[in-house]
Amino acid sequence: MQALEATPKVVSLKEAVARFVRTGCSVGLGGQNIGRCAMAGIHEVIRQGHRDLTIYGCNLSISMDLLVGAGLVRRCESGTGNLERFGTTFCWRRGIENGTLEVEDYSHLAMVSRFLAGEMGVPFMPVKSLLGSDLLTYSSGSGLKKFQVIDNPWNPGEPVVLVPAVTPDVSIIHVQKADPLGNVIIEGFATHEPEMVRASRHTIVTCEELVETDQIRRDPERTTIPYPHVSAVVHQPWGAYPTSTYRYYDYDGDEITRYQAAARASGGAYRRYLDDYVYGCASFEDYLDKVCSPTRREELAAAMQAML
Amino acid sequence: MTDYTLQELMVIEAARQIRDGDVVFVGTGLPLLATAFAQRTHAPNLCFVVESGAIAPLVLPTPISVSDPRLMHRAVRLGTLREVLGCLLQRGLVDVGFLGGAQIDRFGNINSTVIGDYAKPTVRLPGSGGGNDIASHAKRLLIVTRHEKRRFPPRCDYITSPGYLNGPDARAKAGLKVTHPSFAVVTDLAVLEIDPATAQLRIARLMPGVSVEQVRKNTGFEPLVAHPVRSVEPPNPEQVRILREEIDPNGIYLKQSP
Repeated sequence: MQALEATPKVVSLKEAVARFVRTGCSVGLGGQNIGRCAMAGIHEVIRQGHRDLTIYGCNLSISMDLLVGAGLVRRCESGTGNLERFGTTFCWRRGIENGTLEVEDYSHLAMVSRFLAGEMGVPFMPVKSLLGSDLLTYSSGSGLKKFQVIDNPWNPGEPVVLVPAVTPDVSIIHVQKADPLGNVIIEGFATHEPEMVRASRHTIVTCEELVETDQIRRDPERTTIPYPHVSAVVHQPWGAYPTSTYRYYDYDGDEITRYQAAARASGGAYRRYLDDYVYGCASFEDYLDKVCSPTRREELAAAMQAML
Repeated sequence: MTDYTLQELMVIEAARQIRDGDVVFVGTGLPLLATAFAQRTHAPNLCFVVESGAIAPLVLPTPISVSDPRLMHRAVRLGTLREVLGCLLQRGLVDVGFLGGAQIDRFGNINSTVIGDYAKPTVRLPGSGGGNDIASHAKRLLIVTRHEKRRFPPRCDYITSPGYLNGPDARAKAGLKVTHPSFAVVTDLAVLEIDPATAQLRIARLMPGVSVEQVRKNTGFEPLVAHPVRSVEPPNPEQVRILREEIDPNGIYLKQSP
């Protein structure tokens, strides 16, 4: 666990990823579908080439698919892989179909319950989902115990499913606001992130706005996650692009569609996408400058404002 | 006679299954249109619940994802996945849940995980998401799907979300808290419900102009038939107008040509 004292944690994205992501480690991914995926952080993980990763999440979408497509992922544990209207997560799907990617399937409630166990410091959590389904028939075959069905000690005869705690080595999330100490304000939906972050050994937070600690202390009830759970803070405007950030900008359907076309095509087309938009960019700003003009950014920000 | 498409009638018929005041757990696509239509017409007090954490939003047209900000507009709370899947759904406070999948079998079980063998899939599908949780805990289950033989096999390749598993008491035996959920599968040919005696799908209503024989021919198992089989009521012009102009004005999900 990171130091509990209040020390500034603002670093560059390069430094944060180099310090907390390791080959062979487990990574919790924030966001959901086309909302608030930690794209900047994931681009940096790919540039640094940390391999053999285990990915945890509830819905895993474009950020996970990029990591799989870059050949960095060994195993995924989640509730879904997809991008809804934009189609499936093609690299993920191909990896499972050709046997190069190991998966453990849970429901979304089961996954968030696993993070809940992790954040509470207990070894497992009971759920009443999964019963009767093939989620309890099949497992990844990795030898790791997926679940245990027990008899409710207070109501003998009632089956209850226990799912194991998850404690990711590092989680990577993108949020609206954070202060230099690592206090986090998530605006809008928060998916599984509060549980996942508090369950993680380290968390890298990229944020749209870096705010003063004084602002946090004035409105402490707005703090979603307090600083003891956060290891690094990176000021990274547009860090979820092309997914949306509530109150800041809408998703960019054109860019998601472009990624999906490359991911569906695979092979050379996918390799070119990575070369052009990840490896060929020194930073996430480079990528943004390549694909999202100032006019486009204004449009996406205005589209979000119109919805609030 | 009102000009409408079968897809539009599917949405309206699904909406008819929702009652005013219901807590409705919904994703995107046609279920979202059905819920929004119900809220706009006969069920103004229904409560949308969305997996990403939105509770009771006043939905703007037309969200394409559960994380779409259009699905969060003026919610009473934008919370967490645990709050909606745990504190509302598993807690037993959700009345209606929509489900979707590639296969629905004779017992109403749903597969959204894999076609073929789990270990060596022919096609890998997205997985459960909240589907297993909805099927486990909602009191009434709604499915909106095209009626094709391959979508209705005798047995799913993989049961992602439990219907009646393999018989009337199977859910209770498995330990599910909602032992006998009501069930409606709305397709472009018919509405199928669960026959209480056998826990198998039966044809309850037919879409206008469709015969029992047509449904049989497009179903991979022998569906039971209710007596009598009724007909799905066609929409009136105002319902079609609301759907086209207010619920999906840009034709994101609805094909406008009949």
